Amino acid sequence: MPAPTTPSAPERAAAVPPVPRARRRAAASRLLRGVGAAGSSIPLLALIFVLAVLLAQALPAIEYNGWGFFTGTAWRPGNFYADGVTTNGVAHPPGADYSVWPLIVGTLASSLIAMIVAVPVSIGAALVIVERLPRRVADAVGMLLELLAGIPSVIIGLWGALTFGPFIARDIAPILANHMPNVPVLNFFRGPTGYGEGLLTSGLILAVMIIPIVAATTRDLLRQVPLLPREGALALGMSEWETARKVTLPWIRSGIIGAVVLGLGRALGETMAIAMVSGAVTGTLPTNLYATMSTISATIVSQLDSALTDATGFAVRTLAEAGLVLMVITLAANIAARILVRRTSGTALPVGRGI
Amino acid sequence: MTGSVPDGVRPALESIELSLGFGAVTVLRSVSLRIERGGIFALLGPTGSGKSTFLRSLNRMNDKIPGFRREGQVLLEGESIYGQRGDLMDLRRRVGMLFQRPNPFPMSIAQNVVAGVRAHKMAPRRELSAIAQRRLEQVGLWGAVKDRLGESPFRLSGGQQQLLCLARALAVEPEVLLLDEPTSSLDPVSTEAIEALIRSLAPELTVVIVTHNLGQAKRVADHTAFFHDGHLVEHGPTARLFDSPAEAETARYIASALG
Ligand SMILES: Nc1ncnc2c1ncn2[C@@H]1O[C@H](COP(=O)(O)OP(=O)(O)O)[C@@H](O)[C@H]1O
Ligand SMILES: [Mg+2]
Repeated sequence: MPAPTTPSAPERAAAVPPVPRARRRAAASRLLRGVGAAGSSIPLLALIFVLAVLLAQALPAIEYNGWGFFTGTAWRPGNFYADGVTTNGVAHPPGADYSVWPLIVGTLASSLIAMIVAVPVSIGAALVIVERLPRRVADAVGMLLELLAGIPSVIIGLWGALTFGPFIARDIAPILANHMPNVPVLNFFRGPTGYGEGLLTSGLILAVMIIPIVAATTRDLLRQVPLLPREGALALGMSEWETARKVTLPWIRSGIIGAVVLGLGRALGETMAIAMVSGAVTGTLPTNLYATMSTISATIVSQLDSALTDATGFAVRTLAEAGLVLMVITLAANIAARILVRRTSGTALPVGRGI
Repeated sequence: MTGSVPDGVRPALESIELSLGFGAVTVLRSVSLRIERGGIFALLGPTGSGKSTFLRSLNRMNDKIPGFRREGQVLLEGESIYGQRGDLMDLRRRVGMLFQRPNPFPMSIAQNVVAGVRAHKMAPRRELSAIAQRRLEQVGLWGAVKDRLGESPFRLSGGQQQLLCLARALAVEPEVLLLDEPTSSLDPVSTEAIEALIRSLAPELTVVIVTHNLGQAKRVADHTAFFHDGHLVEHGPTARLFDSPAEAETARYIASALG
């Protein structure tokens, strides 16, 4: 249809309105909008579906485990070989007593260690790659990062269990463990360093797994920062470090937060490697940085087999409840990150550059 | 006499047989210029004649560009800026720069103004907001931004952003200010505001301004150097250069620019 200059009112009235065509176009655009809406709601529907299925599975366990699921420390499946008993309409093995609290602590603590190590290392590595290395070396290092990101987690877990964990426990952790003062909080860093399975190894293994993701993403973001503001900072007499800290990194702040959340999501949900290096100990809170422990996901994967032998089905339902908790934690982390992005982008984002 | 300074008087800034290039390309050949303290010195010439490259060698902004070559010297108050003892960060505090397009930092308007002051630890924290106000007043931006000091600078107009960058450059109390076509991306009103400001800076500050705009050179500069094709063709008091150019190339450029 021609797009004429705005016609005057009589002209518009005189023009015969091409009814069928207009109607067809309206219908087409309605259809398109409908398809678009349906397409964009698929992720949301999938999320609701997964939550609903988990919830349906977990409901009896939620009822029986109650608030004690979040307070105690026990993880006792009860006697699978005895006849099941029924409490408030929920069938379960006698003696079943579950608390997910130590697993929540294990999940959050190992991910926290991972982030504390991985975020500065990743951002530092990305800065070095982009601003220091000659392009060809940078590309080679970048390829290496992508290779690292692609290593199956079971391989990293194996390396962690056989080589890295024992090395940390024998040669690195004692330095920390023996020199920390025996005062509250800091005494969490004291104690026997074990044989390589535990919280510290788990956190460091997670760090190894997320560094490539966060570093590669940050590197790509850094390459998009325009030269002009960085030159402005240097021309003002700021050092390269100040320029990176005050100008370059803030320029991509929301992107970095996104990358970090991506890494955090990976850390919170990582299963196989943690199942192999955590010590897979349930039922107690980790008493120091080196204690054996487990996470929600690692516990689910390592206990599903035996849980399926629970004739009452209660053990599986409890694992589903634990899974639900993990989902909520991951969602909460994502939402928190989104709020953080919105908060910090106030002055940072080059909104509507009026040039 | 090579420049705006009589022999025997030490210039603020001086280039001595300065040749610049990138890799195999020589951009500028043997430029010797003496830039008088407290004056406004224009570098005039067509695009690609090497004005920016010359200007950027005065605060060593070319150093990091791959393949950059330099022969000859640049003296600031008689001392080589490329010498062994040179403190790059302090040099750039003393020789400030404003770019062709505004380049605010991703921080609030007030933080932008004092970014350099903080980097050079020139004032205690509690004085920063007063410094920000004074510099914003100096560039005539205070009224427009005083209620939005904590907001993003990227919502300001291009002219306001450039004034903000000027306030930021002035806040570190430079001796020399280098301006690389500072108004080429701006509207006439903003251009006029910036030009008026440049003139007001002159006695305390030495200003070197790159422009390919004859009118601008005429309006602001005491002294003008004409660059063409990697050469310094001639230089002299602005009025003299425009009224009676000594070289044919200069005359041709002036004629074509006015025609
Ligand atoms: N980084 C660079 N690498 C190679 N050549 C460059 C570089 N920067 C500028 N040049 C060349 O130097 C010449 C002068 O550029 P410039 O100083 O920007 O001129 P002007 O500012 O007068 O327009 C141009 O021919 C340009 O192509
Ligand atoms: Mg230029």
